[in-house]
Amino acid sequence: MDDNMIELRNVTKRYGPIVANANVNLSVRRGELMTLLGPSGCGKTTALRCITGQVTPDEGRVFIDGVDVTDVPTHKRELGMVFQNFALFPHMTVYENVEFPLMIRRVPQGQRREMVMDALRLIRMESYAQHYPRQLSGGQQQRVGLARALVYHPKVLLLDEPLSNLDAKLREEMRFEIRDLISRLGITALYVTHDQAEALALSDRVAVMNAGRIEQVGTPDEIYESPRSRFVADFIGLSNFIRGKVLAIERGMAIVAVNHIKLMVPAAEGTQVGQDILVFIRPNDVRLFPVDFAKAENTFEGVVHKLTYLGDTIDYRVIVAEGVQIRVQTDGKVRFNAGEAVKVCLPEARCRVILE
Amino acid sequence: MTALAKRYWHALINQKKLFIYTFLWSFFLWITSPFLIILLKSVGRNWFGKRWLPPELTLDWYKWALTIANIPQVLSNTLIIAAIAVTISTLLALPTGWALGRRKVPAKEVLTSIILLPRMIPPIAYALGIAQIFYRLHLVDTHLGVALAHVAICAPYAILVLSSTFEGLDERVLEAAAVCGASQLRTFFHVTLPLVLPGILSSIIFTFTTSYNEFTLTLMTYGPHTITLPVRTYLAVGEGYWEVTSALSIILIIPSLFVLFMVQRQVQPEKLVGGFKGV
Repeated sequence: MDDNMIELRNVTKRYGPIVANANVNLSVRRGELMTLLGPSGCGKTTALRCITGQVTPDEGRVFIDGVDVTDVPTHKRELGMVFQNFALFPHMTVYENVEFPLMIRRVPQGQRREMVMDALRLIRMESYAQHYPRQLSGGQQQRVGLARALVYHPKVLLLDEPLSNLDAKLREEMRFEIRDLISRLGITALYVTHDQAEALALSDRVAVMNAGRIEQVGTPDEIYESPRSRFVADFIGLSNFIRGKVLAIERGMAIVAVNHIKLMVPAAEGTQVGQDILVFIRPNDVRLFPVDFAKAENTFEGVVHKLTYLGDTIDYRVIVAEGVQIRVQTDGKVRFNAGEAVKVCLPEARCRVILE
Repeated sequence: MTALAKRYWHALINQKKLFIYTFLWSFFLWITSPFLIILLKSVGRNWFGKRWLPPELTLDWYKWALTIANIPQVLSNTLIIAAIAVTISTLLALPTGWALGRRKVPAKEVLTSIILLPRMIPPIAYALGIAQIFYRLHLVDTHLGVALAHVAICAPYAILVLSSTFEGLDERVLEAAAVCGASQLRTFFHVTLPLVLPGILSSIIFTFTTSYNEFTLTLMTYGPHTITLPVRTYLAVGEGYWEVTSALSIILIIPSLFVLFMVQRQVQPEKLVGGFKGV
């Protein structure tokens, strides 16, 4: 078959009137680390549980390594999984925890020991083999969870918010450790999280999920730079949305009227003249200039309404037209005061059209 | 000045120590004195009047107890009844505790209070009812009958302990076992059972001691063939042999001490404490 290691095909799951997954299509390629990103309640856990087999979809099929596993019970799916709450076996030592999948698979004793120690070495926990989970810190427990998931070389590794029970600093360290481990092993991984920073930092590709649907799939770069919906833009990072009407489309550029202002924006596929659309731009892509600055593309006069000092950046709210407020984040090199007139520049290349 | 303060401080600390030791020893004596008196009484001969200690030691009272009070028979009654009560209570409590601890049960609080009711109201109040029903069913003076009466107060204990044991069992740990490749059966034997075993053991110990010590409910349902140790001891009081009664009391206490000792030694604390939550 094709090179998809995990594939959800038209998966729908309802819980009474609630549709947890609505016709979800998702494929994770061999050797890829994909993140399933979405707010809580968006259905990402249901999608994951369809893959593990703890949830049977109402419609659609689930494939692992090209094999239809929709009706295969969880324990026969050959998965490795890391859990949010670690879910280690509290009555077993670290060694026994990691040994468990091998014991279940009746791997011969000598080989078993080697594999366990290999896995423990991978996460630098050899010296903790005889500890019980509760004697370990959260980060150590999660590393053991990782070892337990990887020890029998599963086809795919599933990670269910593995870092959300850890404190912020550790979370960031572990993020890179996991990334590093997964690329070293070349294993296919699906990483479920609600943390957009985690998703961008870790993944080869990100699938953004909202209200039971996949909104967009793409590389972190694509998702961040060219969000296809307001939800995706809003969920990943800060955004300005400016409502306007398409006046004309010339050579791939849409001319958008916002009150009395006209914006030049690269037209998205399917943009039509006369359509109401949103112009999207990230606050740190907007430029501010002194009011006497010479005219450039998409540049307008505005007044600084409010500013917030954030340390490495300054956050401005600039009013450019009635009811049009633009959020701007700049480094603190040139400063403006509240009430000061400024020129606001929305570089054409940084603007996106979002169809609603 | 400082030296004086230091000396004064030491005195104060020592006084505090003195006070604590005095308090602890008094408490210890207060707890143990009834046992001590019974112990002395059971091995003393001609211990009357104002003497502090018995003038002569003897084991005669134990011999009397063994023969006159028919201890082997009474002890075996007690153990058989306790065994039946424990078995029935545990069998009742396993599914009930599972449902209460792990399933969404409507009106759970109300159900729990009803289950606990036999422990809240005085046994004598409903022992009479039990006796009347058992007379009709010919259950009086049978091991099963007495044990069934005990179940009324043993089962609530078992249900309470087991439901909280099962409640503490982390669903996600069981899921983890399945993802690791364990079938339901193997998950049960390798994960579920080891995690709930301490709870089941403590439930068994609780119910066993409850049945072993039970007096009121036995009194209302026993007969010549089903006399238990507590009841026999009570009867001995009526017969007026204080020394024999004391010997009986000591015999009554020994298995409880044994159980207590066993709990401390055999049930590994690290598997009881430390929680089932996995964190």
